Amino acid sequence: MIEPAKGPGPSSGEAGPEVEQSTSGRFGFFLAVLRARPQFALGYGIVGAVLLLAIFAPLIAPFDPVQASPADFLRPPGWPHIMGTDAIGLDIFSRVIYAPRIDLTIALLGTVISAVIGSVLGALAGYYETRRGVGTFFSGLIMRSSDVLQAFPVFVFAIAVVAVLGQSLQSIIMAVAFVNAPIYLRLMRSQVLSVRRLRYVEAAYIAGVSDLKILLRHVIPNAIAPVLAQLSVNTGWAILLTASLSFIGAGVEAPTPEWGSMIAMGYQNIITGHWWPSIFPGLALALTIFGFSLIGSSIEVLADPARRRTIAGELQRRKIPAAATRG
Amino acid sequence: MRVIAYVGRRLIFVAPQLVGILFVSFLLVKLIPGDPAVLMLGPFATDEGLIRLRTELGLDRSIFEQFGIYLWRILHGDLGTSWQTTMPVTSDLAQRFPATLELVTLSLLMALLIGLPLGVAGARNKSGVLRKIADYYGLLAGALPDFWFALVLIFVFYTILGIAPAPLGRIDFTVIPPVTLTGSLLIDSLIAGNWPALRNAAGHLVLPVLTLGLINAAPILKMTQSTMQRMLEADFSRYAEMCGLPPRVVARKALRNSLPSIITIVSVLYGFLIGGAVLVEIVFSWGGAGQYAVQGVLNADLNPVLGFVLYSAILSLVIYLLVDLIYFALDPRTR
Repeated sequence: MIEPAKGPGPSSGEAGPEVEQSTSGRFGFFLAVLRARPQFALGYGIVGAVLLLAIFAPLIAPFDPVQASPADFLRPPGWPHIMGTDAIGLDIFSRVIYAPRIDLTIALLGTVISAVIGSVLGALAGYYETRRGVGTFFSGLIMRSSDVLQAFPVFVFAIAVVAVLGQSLQSIIMAVAFVNAPIYLRLMRSQVLSVRRLRYVEAAYIAGVSDLKILLRHVIPNAIAPVLAQLSVNTGWAILLTASLSFIGAGVEAPTPEWGSMIAMGYQNIITGHWWPSIFPGLALALTIFGFSLIGSSIEVLADPARRRTIAGELQRRKIPAAATRG
Repeated sequence: MRVIAYVGRRLIFVAPQLVGILFVSFLLVKLIPGDPAVLMLGPFATDEGLIRLRTELGLDRSIFEQFGIYLWRILHGDLGTSWQTTMPVTSDLAQRFPATLELVTLSLLMALLIGLPLGVAGARNKSGVLRKIADYYGLLAGALPDFWFALVLIFVFYTILGIAPAPLGRIDFTVIPPVTLTGSLLIDSLIAGNWPALRNAAGHLVLPVLTLGLINAAPILKMTQSTMQRMLEADFSRYAEMCGLPPRVVARKALRNSLPSIITIVSVLYGFLIGGAVLVEIVFSWGGAGQYAVQGVLNADLNPVLGFVLYSAILSLVIYLLVDLIYFALDPRTR
């Protein structure tokens, strides 16, 4: 119980050494897990496909995503517009595959910024919480500020941040980061609180190692696993927030291809039976979030030594009958 | 006695917390570019008119003075006026807050009805079909954007099947609404015995409640399943099992011990949905409190935003206090 035993530490021996050796290291183990749990593979597949579509959108898209052809408005799905056109004659398929460029950029940047800021503040708050003097005061201040931040209705707060900073890409990223930072702050603080009581941290402290070095070398690396597991789930959530902001009109502005604003543009047409301008971007949005949450649950399993051992054992059992029939 | 002391200690912190939350929202809305005086008087305002209005609104004073005046007025039950609706915020919110509460309460009830049994079933047979359904339901419903799902439901049940009412508010214009007592159309029309209004209002509630209920069942399901599973694997459950108690009884004991975390997630969802239901409110033109606040932010209308933040903060504080009291009742160790 000296090691915090959380996350894939430097030596991942606890994950069933036999299996990992026989399947050429950690990457091999990872592939074996994907074979054993196809839903995880599906998650990586979806996110990979979305990323590829976003990168190669200019090559794949049959039409210009912002160039309308007003004569072809509200064409149902068919040829050449495979997902139809919207009320002003924009090709929906082209826009759907261009959209992740902006949605993923905002979500990933927002999540990473909130994770970095949140975990650093959380680590400091946790580390200094039980020290006397200025440290305690600051960690109390950080925690109470995050209480106030979290007391806000998420949505009203995000819209207010965008409104204060002006409607631009940067301010949407900042809004996403602001809203998510308290999650990482709390997660990191609770981890650090338990890690800093461990013997090796106390030993380092008594040996006279500076606080900064203890934090960077001993505390943060051993407390980071849950934060990493949270990242993927949170990215999906950030995509949803981005799309929601755009849906209200406080996010990415129309004609820029973005799922949320596309759904908003097609909202009036739904009533009259023209479902395609809203349904397709929504499907893409839901599928992407689904992919990220699958990846999130795979990381959750892989980062938990006990559950990793269960899977390793399962793989082992599968292998033995196979070997028996062969021999 | 300890419970009363505990509630007292909690209530001491309520006032400073509320002031803190209000001050931050005050600063935030004040930072939004856009001069209310210019927005109120329109493009043809004269300079003298603008200056007069700014003095009237107290906009020429320092931000702390303005906040002080605002607090003073709150203490006298005056939350200011919204320049968009030209109505006092208290009467605007009295009309809109119950609309949101009715929607959110019914949605969470529905979410509980789905999430709780599925979560328990998923935890009880770890490899069965129900577990698979529960797992995929949790993942899929968690990925659905609520505003989009609402549109899909409208398309299916209004546009194609024609069995749902048009997504244009809480009650049809042709139906005479009941006299407002609680603000909830269902309860009010029940009290008044106004059956056509009850039928109509219930019909309008179906789709938005379905949207929020189906989606928010996912977190309740996940929480129920994981806690219930932990409780079933705990020593007390194994002991009960070894003593030969039937599985139903063991499961009931495990469920009772999982209730605190299930109640927690429901209370968190409740607090979140008061503002978080705003997208669904917009899709169904619900005229709820979240919609009111968002309109306020988008138009630099300070008072509605502050009023909404104040109301929802008080509501969440009350809910969290209630939850803690329920813990007391459920868990003998805390007594």
